[in-house]
Amino acid sequence: MRRIAWTLGALGLVAVPWIVAGVAPGQRRYILHILVLTALWGALALSYDLVVGHVGSLSLAHPAFFGIGAYAAALLATEARWPFAAGLAAAVGLAGLAALAVGVPLFRLTEHSFAMGSLGFAMVTSIVATNWVDFTHGPLCITGIPKPALGPLRIVTLPQFWWLALAAVVLVALLYHGLTTFRLGRAFHAVRDNEGLAAAAGVNALKYRMLAFVIGAALAGGIGALWVGYINVLCPSELAVSVTVNLLVIVFLGGVGSLRGVVAGAVLFTALPEILRVAPTWRLVIYGSLLLVIVVKRPEGLETALRALGRRGARAA
Amino acid sequence: MALFEVHGLVKRFFGVTAVDGVDLALERGELVSLIGPNGSGKTTLFNCVTGYLPVDGGRVVYRGEDVTGAPPHRVARLGVGRTFQIVSVFPRLTALENLLVFLQQHQEESFPGRLFRTGRVRRFEREALDRAAALLDLVGLASHAATRAGHLSYGQRKLLAFAAALMPDPELILLDEPAAAVNPTMINQMKDRIRALHRAGKTVLLVEHNMDVVMDISERIVVLDHGQKIAEGPPDAIRRDPRVIEAYFGT
Amino acid sequence: MEDLLEQAVHGLTLGSLYAMVATGLALMFGVVRLINFAHGEFYMLGGYAFWFAFREAGLPYPAAAAVAAAAMAVFGLAYERTVIRAILDRTWHVQLIATLATSIVMTNLAIIVFGTQPKEVPTTLSATILQLGGIRLAWHRILVLVAAVVIFGALQWFVARTKTGKAMRAMSQNREACAVVGVDVERVARATFALSAALAGGAAALVSPLFSIFPDVGALLTLKAFAAVIVGGFGYVKGAIAAAFIIGIAESLAAGYVSYAYKDAIGFIVMIAVLLWRPQGLFGRRIGI
Repeated sequence: MRRIAWTLGALGLVAVPWIVAGVAPGQRRYILHILVLTALWGALALSYDLVVGHVGSLSLAHPAFFGIGAYAAALLATEARWPFAAGLAAAVGLAGLAALAVGVPLFRLTEHSFAMGSLGFAMVTSIVATNWVDFTHGPLCITGIPKPALGPLRIVTLPQFWWLALAAVVLVALLYHGLTTFRLGRAFHAVRDNEGLAAAAGVNALKYRMLAFVIGAALAGGIGALWVGYINVLCPSELAVSVTVNLLVIVFLGGVGSLRGVVAGAVLFTALPEILRVAPTWRLVIYGSLLLVIVVKRPEGLETALRALGRRGARAA
Repeated sequence: MALFEVHGLVKRFFGVTAVDGVDLALERGELVSLIGPNGSGKTTLFNCVTGYLPVDGGRVVYRGEDVTGAPPHRVARLGVGRTFQIVSVFPRLTALENLLVFLQQHQEESFPGRLFRTGRVRRFEREALDRAAALLDLVGLASHAATRAGHLSYGQRKLLAFAAALMPDPELILLDEPAAAVNPTMINQMKDRIRALHRAGKTVLLVEHNMDVVMDISERIVVLDHGQKIAEGPPDAIRRDPRVIEAYFGT
Repeated sequence: MEDLLEQAVHGLTLGSLYAMVATGLALMFGVVRLINFAHGEFYMLGGYAFWFAFREAGLPYPAAAAVAAAAMAVFGLAYERTVIRAILDRTWHVQLIATLATSIVMTNLAIIVFGTQPKEVPTTLSATILQLGGIRLAWHRILVLVAAVVIFGALQWFVARTKTGKAMRAMSQNREACAVVGVDVERVARATFALSAALAGGAAALVSPLFSIFPDVGALLTLKAFAAVIVGGFGYVKGAIAAAFIIGIAESLAAGYVSYAYKDAIGFIVMIAVLLWRPQGLFGRRIGI
C-alpha cells in the first residue's frame, strides 16, 4: 500500500509541469518558478539541518558556503568557460574545503564562541564578496551566467529546471537519510545529545562534528552552483545573514532533525510569502515573530504538531 | 606491572587544590573502593584520569601507556569504562540504541565495508545487537529495549548507564557512586552485579559513600581527604584507622 | 604622523562606542548568563529616540541624550519582561535564535517606520573642528572620549559601592549562592537589563552626531560587540572593554592604512586570530565585573 503511495507521489512530482499547465495555465511560469525555488531552498535547508539538527552545532556560517559554491561556479562558468558539471564539482569541493579549513579552528571553541565565530566567518565572506569588486564584481553582480548543460542536454526551460531541482533535493534527501540513520546517525545524535557521554563511549565528537559540518557545507556549495545556473545572476546579497534567518525559520518551524519537517518548512516558507505577495520587510517581521514564538513555545516545530494531529486523527478513526 | 597507575596527580581549581599529589595503583582483577568525605577529590580524580579534566601535575598510566591528558574518547577506546555521578544517558535514543553507541569504536572499519555492508560488517552488527540484548537482560531492562532513555525512571537510567559502560567489554571499570539514589531493596542486586564483574576478571574502581557497600565488597580501600590520600588497606584496617575516623567525624 | 594620531583618536572614538555596547552585552552574559543577539538594536532604537528628541522635539543635546538613555532603560525593562523571561532558563540555542528573531523584527519594523534613509544628527560640537598642529578633529570626538571615561568610572563606582551593583558582581560569580543568601535575583536581573540598554542608548546619543542612524546599524554592531566580549573572555566585563578598544583602534587604523572597504572585517579577523591563539580569550577564564 505504502509503495503504491510512494510511486504515485514520485510520478506526481515528475509530472508537475503538466499538472500545473493543466490546472493553472496562465500562472504556469510563476508557479514553476516558485516550485524550483522551494526545491532548492529545501535542499539547502536539509544540508543545514545536518549540522544544526543532527549533530547539534549551531553554525551560522551556512550562507558563506552557499556563496563560495555560487561564486566558484559563476566565475568558472563566465571567466574560465568551464562546463556546468565541472563547475558544480568545483563548487562542492571548494565549499567543503573551506569548511574544513574554517572548522578546524572553530571547533576548538565552546558553544557560544563557536556560533559567534561561525557568524564572524559569514560576515567576513559577505564583506569580501561585496568589496572585492575586481574578483566578485561586488554589488554590480556577476551577470550572464550560462544555463546548465550536461553534455548534449541543455537545461533551459522551466520544466527542465524543475526536474533538475527535484533531482537535487531528492539526492540531498537520500544522502541526509543515509547519514542520519543506523550507526552514523546514532553517533551524530549521541554527540548532539550528550557529548560527554559520547566521549566515554569512545566516540570522537570532533570528528563527527567536522564530518557533518563539511558535508553540509559541500552540499550547500553544490546548491549554490545550481542556484546560479538557474538565476544566471549572482549578487553579494545571497550571502547575507538573512539567509541564515530563513534557514533557521525553515528548520525550526518545520522540525529540527526531521526530513519531513524540514521539507514541510521549506514548502511553507518559500511558497507562502510568494503566493501572499508580502513585501520583504513585512515578510521578515512575520518570520521573525513566528520564529520567536515557535522557538519559545514549541522548538520541535511543525513536525511534532503534525504528529500530534496525526495521532489524534488515528484515535478518532 | 600494574594495570592502572596514578603517580602524584595534582588538580587545582582557582587556587583550591582539589587533588594534591595522589598515588594509586590497581592490579589486574582488583576491586578497589575510593572513599572520603565530601569534597575530598574523588570524582575530580575520576574526571582527571578519564580525560575530562586537564591535570596540573602527575601522570596516569594504563597498561604501561602514559595516558595523562588523553581525551576521553581515547581513554575509552583503550579499554576504560566509566559511569557518571549524575546519571548520564542519551535521552532521545532508545535503551538498545544507547548501548549500540558504546560499540562505535569497534565498528570503525573501512569506509567501503560500511558502504557496501560486507559480510564482516553484517556479522559485527549481529554480534552488537546480541550483546546489547544480553546486557539489557542482565540489568532487567529487556522489556524496555525500544523505550527512549529519556522516558525511563532514574533507577532504570542508572541501570542502563551501567549496562552501557560494560558494552565495549572494558578491562578497567570506574563506577562513580553506583549506590547513590538506589532503592535500598535494589542495593543487594547492585552489589551482586559488581561482584559478578569482579569474578569475571574485570578490574573495578568505585567511588562510593555507602559504607555498607564499600566494606562488604571491596578487596582494598583508598581514603582521600582534602585531595590527599590518608589511608589505604583492606576494609578491616580502614574501619579501625584513626585517621579515617577523624577525617569523617572531625576531632 | 598627524594622520596616525587622527586615526588613533578616531579609533578611540570607535572603541568607546564598541566598549559601551560590549559592556551591556557582557553584563547581561555575566550576570544573567544570557546571550542577547538583539543588543545592537538597543543602540539603533536609542539612536532613533535621540534623533527624535534632538531633531524633531528640539531638546538641547544633553537633555536629548538623557532621554535616549532613559527611553532605552524603559525599553530594556519591557524587553526583559516579555522576551527574556520566556527564554531565561532555556538552552543557549533557544536564547540565541529567539533574540536573533527579535533583532530581525525590530530592524525591519524600523525600516517600515523610519525608512532606510539614514538620519543625520549633527550638533555644534560635531561640526566644529579642533586644530592642533596638523591634526583636525571634530570637538565632538573629545566629548565622546571624556564621556566614555566618565561613564566607565561611574559604572565602576556603581558596581563597587551600590547595593545593586555589588549584587550584580556577586551574581556574575555565583548565581546560586546569591539566591540562597537572599539576593533578589530577579530585581538584579531587571536592573542589569535596564542598565545595559541605557548604556546602548547613551552610546547612540553620544556617537550618532559623528555617524548616522539607520535601521541596519545594529547588526554589525552586535557582532563587533560580541567579538569584543569573546576576545575579552566571556563573562569578564573589563576584558570586554579592553578588547573593544583594541578592535576600535585596529578598525580605524585598517580603514586608514589598509582599506576602507574592508574595515568592518577587521573586528572579526581580530576575534578569529585571538580565538585561534587563546580560545579562552585574552584575559583567560576570569569571571566577574
